[in-house]
Amino acid sequence: MSRVLLELRGAKAAHDGITVLHGLDLAVRAGEVTALLGPNGAGKTTALRVAAGAHPVTAGRLLLGGRDMTGADPGDLARAGVCLIPEGRGVFPNLTVRDNLLMMTFTGRTRAEIEEVAFARFPVLARRAGQRAGTLSGGEQQMLALARGLATDPAVLLLDELSMGLAPLVVRGLYEQVAGIARQGVAVLVVEQFAAAVLDIARHAAVLVRGRIERRGDPDDALRSELSALYLGSAP
Amino acid sequence: MTPTEPRADRFVRELAELKIPDPAAARTTLWLRAGAALMVLGPAVAAAAYFLSHGTRDPLVQRDALALGLTGVAASVVGSALFLRYSLTGFLRFWMARQSYDLAQLTDRLTGKDTGHDAAPR
Repeated sequence: MSRVLLELRGAKAAHDGITVLHGLDLAVRAGEVTALLGPNGAGKTTALRVAAGAHPVTAGRLLLGGRDMTGADPGDLARAGVCLIPEGRGVFPNLTVRDNLLMMTFTGRTRAEIEEVAFARFPVLARRAGQRAGTLSGGEQQMLALARGLATDPAVLLLDELSMGLAPLVVRGLYEQVAGIARQGVAVLVVEQFAAAVLDIARHAAVLVRGRIERRGDPDDALRSELSALYLGSAP
Repeated sequence: MTPTEPRADRFVRELAELKIPDPAAARTTLWLRAGAALMVLGPAVAAAAYFLSHGTRDPLVQRDALALGLTGVAASVVGSALFLRYSLTGFLRFWMARQSYDLAQLTDRLTGKDTGHDAAPR
């Protein structure tokens, strides 16, 4: 079994004094995709931000590669290889695709190296290299966000609502790319409200409801029907 | 780093080598407060030096007052620099992000496009 790169132990977190995570336990292994699912307002994004060190825990611990990194600066974690791709993609809309990638040279990689990795994985970005990121389709913007993330050579990749605002076919294609990234040894934690696409590639899944894990395990049919019940209400 | 070293192993090794600064030891607030204190203290010292020099005809004391006044001015300048460094950088960071966002909004308005939720692949 591959090594656990990211672990949350009893993590509690709050917004303005209101606790939104009530002791979250979660482990993400290298080379695997772990899905954190749940309805709107369950605390998924907060959990992801806690994992990236961008939101403080009020109790519990954040372990990376087995080392306690609770309270560490998110910049240090990012330099070590933790990459958070936030909801809303986080690209610079007024810069071209090439310039968006160029900005990632702060990681120490050359422009050519970054473009080689990005364009090999997302050939459509090569065709749109001179186009402003704000004029790309939603799927292409998400590809650009992923390409920017890959430029950091991540060991832990944290994805927030990759499917937001995208057509199901585009989402499926993006998740195939994410599975490919995981196969290269990256530990991937995906937070999603719409579970169908991510469950096809996830090795493990957990369902978060009101800041607590209600169910965890392999993404089997039982989990899918529980999720349906959660979103749509139980059948009488 | 060895070229064949798996990413997970390298991640663990780099984390082990990472020197994590104690968050409690963050100096930003301390420097900000020191800057503000110097900004207040500098003019006070300069004013005290002014009254000291005018309260005596002894040239030695007046020279001391001169030195004190210059120290006050220097403290004000240093304090202002510290205060600007540790207060404005945070503000300017948000200002730049805001400019970028406003430009994006303007572009969207001019092109009549909702770039955030464009579902169709090209």
